[in-house]
Amino acid sequence: MSTLTIADVEQAIDITCDTVIRNEKYFSDLDGLAGDGDFGTSLATGFKVIKADLPTIDKSAVGAMLLKISMICSKHVGGSSGPIWGTGFMRAGMASKGMTEIDYATLVAMVGSALEGIMARGGAKRGDKTLLDALIPIHETMQAMDGSDLKAVLAAVAGVADKAIDETRNLVAHRGRASQVGERSANTPDPGIVGIATILNDWCKHYGVDFVPNAPELNR
Amino acid sequence: MKKFVNDPANFVPEFMAGVLAANADLLEGNLEFQMIKRKTIDASKVAIVQGSGSGHEPAHVMAVGPGMLTAACQGPVFAAPPVDACYETIKAAATDAGVLVLVNNYQGDRMAWDMACEMAEAEGIKLKQFIINDDVAVQDSLYTVGRRGVAGNFFVMKAAGAAAEAGADLDAVYAVAEKVNANVRTMGVALTSCIPPQKGDVIFDIGDDEMEVGVGIHGEPGRERTKIKPADDITKLLYDAVQSDLPFSSGDRVALMVNGLGGTPPAELYVVYNKAAKLAAETGLTIARNYVGEYCTAIEMAGVSLTMLKLDAELEELLAAPAETACRIF
Repeated sequence: MSTLTIADVEQAIDITCDTVIRNEKYFSDLDGLAGDGDFGTSLATGFKVIKADLPTIDKSAVGAMLLKISMICSKHVGGSSGPIWGTGFMRAGMASKGMTEIDYATLVAMVGSALEGIMARGGAKRGDKTLLDALIPIHETMQAMDGSDLKAVLAAVAGVADKAIDETRNLVAHRGRASQVGERSANTPDPGIVGIATILNDWCKHYGVDFVPNAPELNR
Repeated sequence: MKKFVNDPANFVPEFMAGVLAANADLLEGNLEFQMIKRKTIDASKVAIVQGSGSGHEPAHVMAVGPGMLTAACQGPVFAAPPVDACYETIKAAATDAGVLVLVNNYQGDRMAWDMACEMAEAEGIKLKQFIINDDVAVQDSLYTVGRRGVAGNFFVMKAAGAAAEAGADLDAVYAVAEKVNANVRTMGVALTSCIPPQKGDVIFDIGDDEMEVGVGIHGEPGRERTKIKPADDITKLLYDAVQSDLPFSSGDRVALMVNGLGGTPPAELYVVYNKAAKLAAETGLTIARNYVGEYCTAIEMAGVSLTMLKLDAELEELLAAPAETACRIF
């Protein structure tokens, strides 16, 4: 398969909901190391609503579905994660507006637009130790591939996110709540990056993609 | 907690339903999105929308009406409205002339309205967003980067609303909002805390003999906690902070507002106004318009804020233009 249908996207989101809900406590514990310890709960609260609403929300097009998910995120995910994740889904939804099938070029554009939106909304950039440190190299990796084998793409981006956990571990956070503790944020993984990597790792498992992560956060 | 509340979770929709019931001639709403709008919207005129947390009534849904806001939405008490409410509010108000979205400077409000504006623009709705930040008390605070948007918000709504009503285009209405915000300054003081219905308890502790100078309208800390003083001394504190910030200087014509934060009786507001008017005269200011009452509250907090707006001929005319809203004190 080189294109994704509405049902494919729905399924990926459903898996994501399970990942986020299952890791509620773990993500909050990670956040508690340098932030205010609410990341897991904030995210899980919203994704529980997404999981519950997913069967009945507007699925006339990929874009319509993602816009609806964006609304749920921004309404039910607490703290700054709501607008951040909500913006990601919103931009991805705008880039796939009216489409019932998305090809690889569209998928890459959706990721690119999502991360641009997240940068604009949160004011963060690469190296600030936020989920952008996973999303930006993921986008670059996707751009460099032709997308004829989506499983290969998934394995590659899961590897990029895995690597991002370790590459950013020793950085000091410059954005978000963790930035307020300064040096204390060094030596702790960023929960947003771990979140992205965990989701991709779970997608690999679900879709039968061979991938062995290195980061201890993905080998619990 | 003693309040006129049924289920605290239904507090906001219930009060909004009351506003609609009391103003059925003027307003209609969609409470699924905590939104209230004018019954009649002139498609040829710029629409003005706003929305923020509840607990500041009459701001914001009670400021909807001819000459003021076109539509507004509420969040829960002291929390930003959700993005879908903001988006639906923009859509419900949108006219051919465009929409001016007025946002008070709080991170939650700004992110929600930013997202809603982006979605609305993608739908082809013409809009501009303007951020209000009139509070001189603190530069950054609990919920803000930069100054907070407080009672000065009223003057932005009123002047921009009048300009829109007069047929000004979106750029011109935006310019009015910009001019008001650039020339308006506010500072408040709290004698007591307040009790959000869902919290059921005070949001900060303050001694019987203390006051919080420069308090925010969500009880955020201000400049300092001091012993309470006579009304004239408190008024001078507020006046000096506001007057020196712009600064307002001899010969200026101003609008002066003494705004009650919800738990201070009208007579006390006039005690404050009495001193503020004398101080203004000493500076050489002419109070062209005065406003004494409740415009932007913090539930039942005992306290006041003092706002001054420097006027020019245009703003004076816009403030004098008629307006009609759910709370008819405007």
